Amino acid sequence: MTSLRSWTGRRLALGLGQAAAVPALVFVLTEALPGDAADALAGDDPDPRRIAVLRAAMHLDRPARQRFLDWAGGLLRGDLGTSLVSGRPVTRYLADGLAPTLLLAALALALLVPLSLLLGVLAAGREGGPLDRAIGSATLAVYAVPEFALGVLLVSVVALRLGWLPPTAVGGVREQPAVLVLPVLVLVARPLCSISRLVRAGMLAALDAPHVRQARRHGLSEARIRWTHALPNALAPAAQQLARTCDWLLCGVVVVEALFVVPGLGTVLLDAVAARDVPVVQGLAVVFGLFTVVLNLAADLLARRLAPRSEAAA
Amino acid sequence: MRPRFLLGAALVAVPLLLALCGPLLAGPAGPRAVSFTPGQGHWLGTDFTGRDVWRQVLLGGRPVVLVALAATALTYAVALPVGLAAALTRRTWLEEVLMRPLDVLIAVPSLVLVLVCAAALSPGPVGLSALVALVAVPDAARTVHAGAVEVAARPAVEAMRMSGESSARIALGYTARSLRRTLAADAGTRLVGALYLVSTAAFLGVGVQPDASDWAVMVDRNRPGLDLQPLAVLVPAALIAALATGTNLLLDAALHRGGRGARR
Repeated sequence: MTSLRSWTGRRLALGLGQAAAVPALVFVLTEALPGDAADALAGDDPDPRRIAVLRAAMHLDRPARQRFLDWAGGLLRGDLGTSLVSGRPVTRYLADGLAPTLLLAALALALLVPLSLLLGVLAAGREGGPLDRAIGSATLAVYAVPEFALGVLLVSVVALRLGWLPPTAVGGVREQPAVLVLPVLVLVARPLCSISRLVRAGMLAALDAPHVRQARRHGLSEARIRWTHALPNALAPAAQQLARTCDWLLCGVVVVEALFVVPGLGTVLLDAVAARDVPVVQGLAVVFGLFTVVLNLAADLLARRLAPRSEAAA
Repeated sequence: MRPRFLLGAALVAVPLLLALCGPLLAGPAGPRAVSFTPGQGHWLGTDFTGRDVWRQVLLGGRPVVLVALAATALTYAVALPVGLAAALTRRTWLEEVLMRPLDVLIAVPSLVLVLVCAAALSPGPVGLSALVALVAVPDAARTVHAGAVEVAARPAVEAMRMSGESSARIALGYTARSLRRTLAADAGTRLVGALYLVSTAAFLGVGVQPDASDWAVMVDRNRPGLDLQPLAVLVPAALIAALATGTNLLLDAALHRGGRGARR
């Protein structure tokens, strides 16, 4: 019990350290690396007046440490700064893009979890059997394909050639829910492959464990053994992978939003990168980073709960 | 796992050959034609600026493959010394100093990290491979570290230390050599990841010129003409998909062969 508590303490400390370091890393990467952010911002046409305006807006005349402290203090108060392009607060950008992205992510997760459990359990049904091999090859193959390549291939066949689904989400979700089908499919494809493979591996290990063999000797039905005795043990690595996968889901969301023209956080981030709108980029990166930290923390704690004997990383 | 190996090899062969030999076969650029025309003297039609798509396909594989390979090599050039040093040192603080920052780097989603850097710098191909390597270093260094910690506990390492062997010889001559299978497998995984990230970044316009001859850029820029001239998008997209899928299948086949203990 004490070891569990000290493990939890260490894991929480790591999470806190990560949460504190994410803003520092983002700040260093966006501001400290280039010679002068204002020069970079002004772009191909370095008009001295514009550079001067930008320098003033970004407080570049003050030392980097001072700027970081101000910015980090603002973060703690929920103030992410204002856009250099539009002058609107960064939090407004976040609020505007949040709904479409959350909808995409929620649908993807709602589809991902049951599907990957199902595929994993099915594949583990008979190790090395035809179904296992087919699922194994398919997941290996799809796993590696970048979302944009899969996306355009699907769009050209399903949307343009067959005309079954709209090719972009321009029509709006409320009027036409079908616009979400292709984006969610593309988003789910890669994580589905990796998680179902982990569920399969976990199931195979669990089905071989002493407690499952004991349950067999007691004459429990195969289905009951599979779903109530083996699966929970297979879930611990899958839950951790699910959190790591959220990194992929975030990457995937950026690509999918660009591909299907969804006005979510990914599009906001890409537009800000293209316009070199540093405060917006910083704000979004911090939010994405903190989200990932919290998610991984939750997954590790959950995995420890599901399988207390396993050595979770801390 | 023989069919999987053959399938992987077949899938990789076409894009890899195109990427390596394509630029030699491409020939000089012809005059620009009308945008997005199918046929008319162009085997695969024309692209968004009226260039011949077949020529762009021949030219466009090399940057994807080279940047991914360079990123993987760079990942290991950093991860191997860091992981080995952290595992073999007997100073705990040094191990912490080397490994703890990676926990932070791992916390930021990889594509977001690449995009954040792209907002401040305008990376070229070299910068892009450095960025992709930066994203992959924490995982690779952890793999090296975990493997090397185990090897470092062996009596052989202790014996080498006591007989006064140099730490470079212990690290590279013994530890890295014992880990070569694990490291080869991990490098394969990194290569698949690098292919993914390099092409995705190029698709999003990071590290490439807007009219670059690059398969991922072709997919992005020719998308407006998808219903007029689908080949300009589908051919490069299919090539990237085949390259990534094939590499992954080959890697899996190689791992299974290694796992069964067969000598190569």
